[in-house]
Amino acid sequence: MTRAFLQLAAMIAVFFGLWFGLSQIDWVGILRIESGKEATEEKLGDLLWDTFKQQDEELRSSEVTSRLDSLIQFVCKENNIDAKEIKLHVLQNDDVNAVTLPDHHLVVYSGLIKASDSEAELVGVICHEIAHMQKNHVMKKLVKEIGLSALIGMTSGGNTGRIIKLISSSAYDRELETEADLTAADYMLKADLDPEALANFLYKLSSDDVPSQVYWVSTHPESKERAKAIIEYIEGKDITKNQILSADSWKSLKAAASEN
Amino acid sequence: MSTPFPNEPGEHEAERASNSYLMSLVAHIVGLPLPIVNLVATLIFFLGNRNGTYFTRWHCTQALLSQASLLFVNSYGFWWTIGIIFRDNTVTNEYIAYMITVFLINVAEVIATMYAAIVTRKGKHVELWFYGDITNAICKP
Ligand SMILES: [Zn+2]
Repeated sequence: MTRAFLQLAAMIAVFFGLWFGLSQIDWVGILRIESGKEATEEKLGDLLWDTFKQQDEELRSSEVTSRLDSLIQFVCKENNIDAKEIKLHVLQNDDVNAVTLPDHHLVVYSGLIKASDSEAELVGVICHEIAHMQKNHVMKKLVKEIGLSALIGMTSGGNTGRIIKLISSSAYDRELETEADLTAADYMLKADLDPEALANFLYKLSSDDVPSQVYWVSTHPESKERAKAIIEYIEGKDITKNQILSADSWKSLKAAASEN
Repeated sequence: MSTPFPNEPGEHEAERASNSYLMSLVAHIVGLPLPIVNLVATLIFFLGNRNGTYFTRWHCTQALLSQASLLFVNSYGFWWTIGIIFRDNTVTNEYIAYMITVFLINVAEVIATMYAAIVTRKGKHVELWFYGDITNAICKP
């Protein structure tokens, strides 16, 4: 019987040895298997963007899009983020809002551009959304709330209403928001921009005399506290208040966004 | 590894012993997608030969044991695959490595079973590595 035990041990060792040894090879890379998660994210992003596109007119004027592109590219370059991944869309809608969808779709509402009193305020919100993207907050939240299998089900033509609600109404957890705010502040510091502008923007929009269309703030609750947290975070740090666009270019951007 | 039994097995005994390996081989291949099939099939054959001669019983037991151990390994792979298809959809290096390991073990099992079927058909005794000892321990004349 001792021999049988030794043989059993040897068999188990061979089994796990073989398994472990073979695991060291990057089969997924070699076979170029696209992970199901990536495929799902891509499909979801397209599906959700389709839904957004149906609700509002897309603003295609290069006066707006190429300038927003410049802002995004500048921030991304300074922070080693691949700007080509980001799919920017501008919608003609007076809501002060910007939304990050799965698979790097960034939807900016023209109302946000109009409501920004300075370039840094607009860039601050964009940085916040890019932070959501880079930290994969959208998929994390959707997987947590809906579950990956249900998400995969929705990609084959399901009802996107629930996802839209999750993405655009109650927004993210407080924790993820704070992370996005502080990451946005880091992006801006690295790009020699003024993160205080993001705090100002939050503070300004959370005051009572702004119209109810301020969605970005209502979807991002506790704006005053968030503004304070940003101010505390950047306190004592070296801040350079550079501009990306020329003053004229910024004015044209605002004017083009207000045209409709 | 051949050890002579007390008396030479007759033609009929040899055929039944050999058939238990063939049966397990067929069940193994048929049951690959759903591993429980091969165990159930071999188990039925085993029960049918419960009252056979020592030689027949011995080889039925060995065939059953070698099937049973594969059951765990194959089932794990089966449910892992089901999980990937219906749940997280993520193929990992560990999964592919596991499936290759399982494939190699199954090939080895098929070869060993075929060898045992041929040798027992000739009326000769054969003890498989590890399984022979276990069979000796549980299968008494
Ligand atoms: Zn946010």
